[in-house]
Amino acid sequence: MSPNRNKDIKSAARILQVFIFLIWAVMFGRIIQLQILDYEKYAPMSKQNFIRQEFVNPARGLIFDRNGTIVVENEPIYSITIHPASFDNSKIPVLADLLQVDEENVLERIMAAQQYSWHRSSRLYSEVSFDVFSNIQENSWQLPGIGHQVESKRHYPQPLFASHTLGYLREATREEYLSSDRIRLGDKIGKSGIEMVYEDYLRGELGAEYLRVNAYGQTIGHYNDNELDIPPEKGYDLITTLDAEVQALAEKLMEGKKGGLVAMDPQNGEILSIVSTPQYDISRLAGRLDSEYWNSININEDSPLFNRAISSRQPPGSTFKPFMGLIGLNLGLITENTEIYNSGAYFRGRPYRDLADPGDYNLELAIERSSNTYFFWMMDQIASNGHLNSWSQLTKEFGMGEMNHIDLPYERIGLVPDSTYMNTNFGTRGWGVGDLMSLGVGQGMLSVSPLQMAVATSVIANGGYRVQPHVVRGVSYNDGSTNYTNPDRWRIDWIQPDHLQIVQSGMRGVVTNGSGRWYSNLPDIPVSGKTGTAQNPHGRNHGWYIAYAPSDNPQIAVAVLVENAGFGSISAAPIASLVIEQYLKGEIERQHVLDYVLDFNPREDVPDEVESEHDVEQMIPETEVEP
Amino acid sequence: MTAFKELDWSLIFIWAALTSFGLVAIYSATQGPVSAFLPEYIQDNFSRQALWVGLSIVVIIAVQFTSPRTFQGISYILYGFAVFLMIITVFFGTEVSGSRSWLRIGPINFQVAELMKLATILAAANYLTSRRDISAENLKTAFITLLFFIVPFILLILQNEVGVGVIFLALFPFMLFWSGLPHGISLLMISPAVIAYFSVIDWRIGIAFALVLTITIFLLQRRNWLTFTSLVIGLLTVVGTEVALHQVLQPHQTARIEAFLNPTVDPQGTGWNIIQATTAIGSGGLTGKGFLEGTQTQLRFLPEQWTDFIFCVVGEEFGFVGAGSIMILFLFLFLKLINMASTHKHPFAQMVIVSVAAVFFIHFTINIASATAIMPVIGLPLPFISYGGSAFITNSLLLAICLNMDFYKRSFSIYS
Repeated sequence: MSPNRNKDIKSAARILQVFIFLIWAVMFGRIIQLQILDYEKYAPMSKQNFIRQEFVNPARGLIFDRNGTIVVENEPIYSITIHPASFDNSKIPVLADLLQVDEENVLERIMAAQQYSWHRSSRLYSEVSFDVFSNIQENSWQLPGIGHQVESKRHYPQPLFASHTLGYLREATREEYLSSDRIRLGDKIGKSGIEMVYEDYLRGELGAEYLRVNAYGQTIGHYNDNELDIPPEKGYDLITTLDAEVQALAEKLMEGKKGGLVAMDPQNGEILSIVSTPQYDISRLAGRLDSEYWNSININEDSPLFNRAISSRQPPGSTFKPFMGLIGLNLGLITENTEIYNSGAYFRGRPYRDLADPGDYNLELAIERSSNTYFFWMMDQIASNGHLNSWSQLTKEFGMGEMNHIDLPYERIGLVPDSTYMNTNFGTRGWGVGDLMSLGVGQGMLSVSPLQMAVATSVIANGGYRVQPHVVRGVSYNDGSTNYTNPDRWRIDWIQPDHLQIVQSGMRGVVTNGSGRWYSNLPDIPVSGKTGTAQNPHGRNHGWYIAYAPSDNPQIAVAVLVENAGFGSISAAPIASLVIEQYLKGEIERQHVLDYVLDFNPREDVPDEVESEHDVEQMIPETEVEP
Repeated sequence: MTAFKELDWSLIFIWAALTSFGLVAIYSATQGPVSAFLPEYIQDNFSRQALWVGLSIVVIIAVQFTSPRTFQGISYILYGFAVFLMIITVFFGTEVSGSRSWLRIGPINFQVAELMKLATILAAANYLTSRRDISAENLKTAFITLLFFIVPFILLILQNEVGVGVIFLALFPFMLFWSGLPHGISLLMISPAVIAYFSVIDWRIGIAFALVLTITIFLLQRRNWLTFTSLVIGLLTVVGTEVALHQVLQPHQTARIEAFLNPTVDPQGTGWNIIQATTAIGSGGLTGKGFLEGTQTQLRFLPEQWTDFIFCVVGEEFGFVGAGSIMILFLFLFLKLINMASTHKHPFAQMVIVSVAAVFFIHFTINIASATAIMPVIGLPLPFISYGGSAFITNSLLLAICLNMDFYKRSFSIYS
């Protein structure tokens, strides 16, 4: 080797060493940059990486009846979630096997989840069985991207629906979760009934949990021994005014019929039972959306979602007569002794039929026998003397034609016409006495809901007090204290006690001697009531019944509407009387009445030829009539 | 005993230190709290690696009893044999995550490319040192030598192992440079890589570098044809890179390059590795989070953390102290080997030692530059640190050959 070559080797080695050192220095500089200079930037990044904040949904408040029976509670449901980006499709067979479903189904759902978001977890299966859930839990180590979570759904342990009152939950819409910071995407919120009205109480406060997770999103454990965790705050419990037993019976009695029932404590407006039929099974709307069922109740022509108890608008028929009597007494049109002769019809331009026996009627008897003439005559006086607006205003004070502000959604006002209404709808001077006559017997434009009739009945029962109907009597806070609503009641000052007494004895007479005597008369409890039949231009008439008991110390007031069922005395009255019996005695002793109601089919049991409630008497088998 | 002193103990120390770091890192990456989420066969990685280390010690000692002449003698036969195995692998190899680069011999899966590396170094060194020195006027030898590298490169592309193929392309200029290729031409040879790297970032920077390199080559060599060639090659590289980025490369390769340029565009996808790797290293800080305490490592945020991203494990758990130590050890290894070569009398031994240094350096650079996001991710192991039996044994063997040649440098001479 030449010396020259030797010198070349030395310089080549130097060049190579310098070259290597320079590149090495670049990388060494890079780790200085990363680890020393930018440490402050990367340290928090790695923390965020492995700490995941998980929201913990609070338990929703429970709902109790007035006696402390749980009506709505929570039930755990198990869900399997997927994080598509971390999932390995070759694991589908294992996953399908663990889930006990076929592979195609799993693949389909995985693809749907991928379409929703590649990087966000979504539910793969909800409401899986506990076995499947624990299988997945045990095998999660070999299923990257698959998670599991326990959620809850509403459970209804009592044999009752109360669907319109309790209400169902549904996933919040986009507008809803964007407008509230307490609601997140995917949260369920109350969409009807008290679940909706009392959402803010039932909901509770979200908690947060800090978990250590790996890159697959698998939870390794808690962070910092749960120090940062915020426990969720359970929603408040609601104590309702409902009586679970009465409610269950009322639902049973109304089953197969169309209509509404409201039973309340006439002293304070607490709703003991409220039913609208047909109803729907809220437990089927509690978990995974059963779209077939949901569609079936939505397209049902009898509109099960419609709350007939507080939203229906039907003429009250003869159940309006006691209130008409009070108004007449107040307006000075009649006194206790005023007698009107019934000749079989009242003539005012045309005959207005009266099916009560001909003869003289005072107010008490007119109510007892439901004579129309008496009330047509009164309405004639009111209409002819321009008292329509006074009549309208006094009627509204009973709760008809105005909001009663019950704590349930979708309450409707109904209609009690006044001159403004008449002018708007018929034109000024476009209407006359003839258009108003039928109002006197609760027909025509007058339209009310069972709730309004129950409130009005309470006024007669409790000595002239207007009560505030409500279904929630108290909120039970997490510290154990309970806040009762105790809404005010107020005296309707124009109602005279001696006037009330006349009407009350008339209503007592209805049950002892009148149209209520067959089904509504209890042997050991004095009941007062009034039957009614609302004329229905579109089909069979609707049956009404209002009642309260015991007559001397009323504890329950009931209003029942059974649509297309004909006379109230045979359709609505037995139902109301059984509800009264159940509430006051705790059991049903009149088995034949119960059987009669359960078998009652409004479309078959009332022949069309029957024109009068008095004709019905012949239909009742002698043996069934109580002595 | 005198012979014992002749052995270069500093290299043995570096080998032992790097290997120990590697075992600790592999243990952390596969045996720590993370292990519950790893497949069983990966949990065995640590014990398998320990076995390979034991085996390598035997190999290193055994090699010391061999004459350095043997390596020169068998070089062409070994090369032919390796190429044969490579061809076999193309057709009958075991496929592992998309590439067919493993050959199963009995119970052992062997990565043939590792043997190819050794064979190519020996054969090319033998060929280059048996010819006259290369000069700017006589480039015939240089072109023939290129064949030694092109063959394995093509076979590796057929095996879908482009990453490993890059080593062969990168090794070539190192060996030519050492065999006396004029500096200007050597610079010309590496200039496409430099220009391509900067063109990926921005084509204007690429053109700037093409011009700067051309001027440097002119100053070094002062030959017009070379300068002209340099300019043409430089500009072609810029154009070629742009075309490759947008036309030739497969989508996943383009995605990798785009992720390198801007990892936050797709933080869950291709940018993931880059973000997680830099986060792991950066969050290690000065002293690291502690053994088995690295959250990025133990919570499996790093992909392939026992091989391609093992540097992140060290960086996270042992911080700048750990990562810097490894880098300094490597720097010593490179400089020491080149010194060793420059003091050796025999051209073949010089060439082999320099090539071994170059191979280690290429691995080191690509691995750490990928992990620290200096360049797009190319999956190559870090010598002596990463898990992998074939690579570990081959690297140890390469080092053992260097030790051997140094050990016998008096008896192994051109005059005997």
